[in-house]
Amino acid sequence: MSGYDLVDVEVTHESADDLLDSLSEDGTEGDHLQSIQAVRLQAGQPDSELRSLKELDENSVKLLEHQVDAAYRALFEMDGKALLADEVGLGKTIEVGMILKEMHFRETDESVLILTPAQLAKQWQAELREKFGLDFICNYDDEFEDFDAHDYIIASIDTAKSERHRQTVLDRDWDVLVLDEAHYVKNEETDRYDLIDRLSYNYAFFLTATPIQNELTDLYNVVSLLRPGLFGTRDVFHQYFVNSNQETLVNRDELQDRLNKVMIRNRREDTDIDFTDRTIDTRTFEPTTKERELYQAVSDYVKGAYSQDQGQKLVLMLLQKEVVSSPVALKRTIEKRLYEQSELTHADELETILDLIDEIDTVTKQERLLDIVEEARDNVEMGRVIVFTQFRATQQQILDRLVSEGYTAHAFHGGHSSSEKEQIVEDFEEEGGILVSTDAMSEGRNLQFCNMLVNLDLPWNPMRVEQRIGRIHRIGQKRDVFIFNMALKDTIEEYVLERLYHKIDLFQQSVGELSSILSRLEESGTSFEDQIFERLVNADSEVDLENDFDAMAVDLQEQRELADKLEEFNSGVFEGFDLGESDD
Amino acid sequence: MTDAALAVTQSAVEAFTEHYLESLGSTIEKRGERWEVTIPDNEDTELPAGNLSLLCGDGLEGDATGEPLHPESEFLQRILREASERRPTGKLSIETNQTEVEVPQWLQANDVEVTDARFTPYYDRTAVVVLYQLSIETVSEYQQEFLRAIAIDHRSEENLPELGDTFLRMTSMTTNTTSTASQSSLADADARSLLDAARNQLMEEVQTEIDEVHNEASRAADAEVEEYRQLQQQRIEELEEERSKLSSKIDKLSEAINGGDQDDRVEALKERKEIKAEYEEVASELSDLHEQRDQGFPQKQQEIRNRHALDVRVNPLTITEVEYERGEIDIELNEEGVTRTVTVGYGSGIGITDDVRCSSCNREFSAENPLKTIKDSLRCNRCTSSNN
Repeated sequence: MSGYDLVDVEVTHESADDLLDSLSEDGTEGDHLQSIQAVRLQAGQPDSELRSLKELDENSVKLLEHQVDAAYRALFEMDGKALLADEVGLGKTIEVGMILKEMHFRETDESVLILTPAQLAKQWQAELREKFGLDFICNYDDEFEDFDAHDYIIASIDTAKSERHRQTVLDRDWDVLVLDEAHYVKNEETDRYDLIDRLSYNYAFFLTATPIQNELTDLYNVVSLLRPGLFGTRDVFHQYFVNSNQETLVNRDELQDRLNKVMIRNRREDTDIDFTDRTIDTRTFEPTTKERELYQAVSDYVKGAYSQDQGQKLVLMLLQKEVVSSPVALKRTIEKRLYEQSELTHADELETILDLIDEIDTVTKQERLLDIVEEARDNVEMGRVIVFTQFRATQQQILDRLVSEGYTAHAFHGGHSSSEKEQIVEDFEEEGGILVSTDAMSEGRNLQFCNMLVNLDLPWNPMRVEQRIGRIHRIGQKRDVFIFNMALKDTIEEYVLERLYHKIDLFQQSVGELSSILSRLEESGTSFEDQIFERLVNADSEVDLENDFDAMAVDLQEQRELADKLEEFNSGVFEGFDLGESDD
Repeated sequence: MTDAALAVTQSAVEAFTEHYLESLGSTIEKRGERWEVTIPDNEDTELPAGNLSLLCGDGLEGDATGEPLHPESEFLQRILREASERRPTGKLSIETNQTEVEVPQWLQANDVEVTDARFTPYYDRTAVVVLYQLSIETVSEYQQEFLRAIAIDHRSEENLPELGDTFLRMTSMTTNTTSTASQSSLADADARSLLDAARNQLMEEVQTEIDEVHNEASRAADAEVEEYRQLQQQRIEELEEERSKLSSKIDKLSEAINGGDQDDRVEALKERKEIKAEYEEVASELSDLHEQRDQGFPQKQQEIRNRHALDVRVNPLTITEVEYERGEIDIELNEEGVTRTVTVGYGSGIGITDDVRCSSCNREFSAENPLKTIKDSLRCNRCTSSNN
């Protein structure tokens, strides 16, 4: 590579006098051999191995060869500064988990900062805790105080760069920095880039499946943050590696050599990941007249209350979710609002809702659930089915019903201790039957001995849906997987399912693909749940609502296509790159 | 060129520790991963005489007491330091019966069978093998350290790379056949001259590595210079803007001086004087920067390039006099019933010392151009393939 001036080289030859003096000294046979071996051992690297591996619980995380390799190379061959650029779905989070676990084991991690897109922060926290036993505080936790108050922090990058926290983040010398979706710092003129550029750290691991977003300069920017100077100046990089049309690379071999020092990219075709098939069966049921009336009353109330006071958003969202889960779940929240918090403004409306709840004697979803578990009893091993609901009240009612119908049923929720949870999963494996679980299960437990799952109600956050499915559809699942989604006709759930989730093919996406879509969406400044709620409460008519959801689906589809395109583009650019270990 | 460093595995650590402690006269009683060591009084070591418990491995059982022994343990570093300084010079002999006769590569890629190879030593020769530590350091790259073995023939001062490799094999942790006589018979003057030859050879061999780091450091320096240049350009633009602002302020004040009443004029004159001073200051800084820019910021460039300069350090750590034998080797070959014997110069530990050539084209046999047939005479791959 040309275009730069060479710096000076100074060679110092140390004196050999002492060594020559020792020629005349006496010694014992064998001593000299030991001196040679000692010198050779001193020059050798301590046998670097991932010593923490044996501490990992095989039930919590199944490591793949390419992940172990990546963690090893990042730690020992790249001196702890690496760009992990595997294609989507190959488990970059696992690779970082192993790296952090190893650093924890070696006590080189006094302070760790993980920066992620906002929507993925909690997911990171759960994965590190459940799979690697690493406890991080997240900036969304109530206990979170500030960036100087904790040593292991997961935060959204935008929180970290915000005026309120920026200086605290920068004032600290971090041992380890992890940056997820690193391509969002590609632009050197943004606050995010500036933050990372100024951060002080010893080790850094950047993650992205698509290091190149628009042009090859993106790669220069991301890599230069990690290893300044590796590519020389921007101009030289351009002249030397980038064809003037910006789409192709020149001098690939040298780029590969250089990238090999800092970037690891595993491709799907080089790994042995093989997922079984997933069958999705979405069942939409006609609600009873009473159920329809209740749904309407709740929706009207939510809409009215929100237009008057937007501060109640969270609780109103909750009501809207509960009404499609079960009347009993809804009842508790309404009663609480009415009697404990003395809600007076809408007391009449709430009383009416309570009356409507009491009038319901048939809960359609629960009746239909019996059909599904009955099918399961005949078709899957030991009739094992997992039923997910977001609400404890719904869970309890289903359990009672199942038991009264003579089924073996198990409950799993966040109130159990971890040993109880383990026992429950064990019982479920041994006794079969139905495990009714809240989303407390979504964090890191392996249930691949079961291959049928029912979403009795549906989270509005697609990551949560994917986490539920991920409990059974993961590496190690040997059978095809069946997912049942239950929704009542003409309700918010039907919209979310039919118009959004199916349009983006949510149920067929891998976690990696989904997170890249969601973080793209977040880039445009929107949270998925908020969007759903806003559209629901702001629609003037049924037609309006349908159009709104269609528009959101179009957005999502666009994001998805863009994500796909980028992935393709990056595979194209790196095609023919053997970005594995070089021979020398 | 092979790096001479040994992988610091747990088994290497244990083997070394055991040999070293025994060489100090210690006794070791092994109870699983726990070694009970008794160290005698010995002036060669600073280890305290008495009893010592060593815990091999990670010592994961937290309640065990004793000195941990693993690749990163303090105890290992201590005895390595001590052992490396104990006898850095000495002598080693390569006995013919210790090394298998090495069949050259050019004999291995064909249908010709080697039925026998006999070495007849004629005379003893000596060489020295020097272990050099080489470190290359610069601000932008991680410090790189290498350990290299360079073997030089005592008489001819020629480089013997194969002997270097044999030396590394013989001094690895798995070897136990090597005998080392304690004292080298090298005279100081000879040793100095050989060290010089070895050092020159070393520098020749590591040039590629140095060049690589050199290029990288130069690139990093260049990036920094460029960054500085951009920063100064930005500053120039700011100053130019500032100057133009000040200039228009001065113009405005000049107008006021011409037009206003006396009080205003005095006020304006005062202000203009201040602004003019400010203007001069900005203009002077700007002209400085312009000048520096036009010259390419020579001072800063020099400063940055000096900081990125490479520091290469070469340190000889051990000198081993190696005795080996030279003579001839008879290699018996067989190809489909045709047998031939080839006799060539050979040295124990260094392999074939003569060139052997194709009887047809007179090209030298090598791994790239191996022997193909012996049927009519010894002929190389090229000759036989061009005939086909």
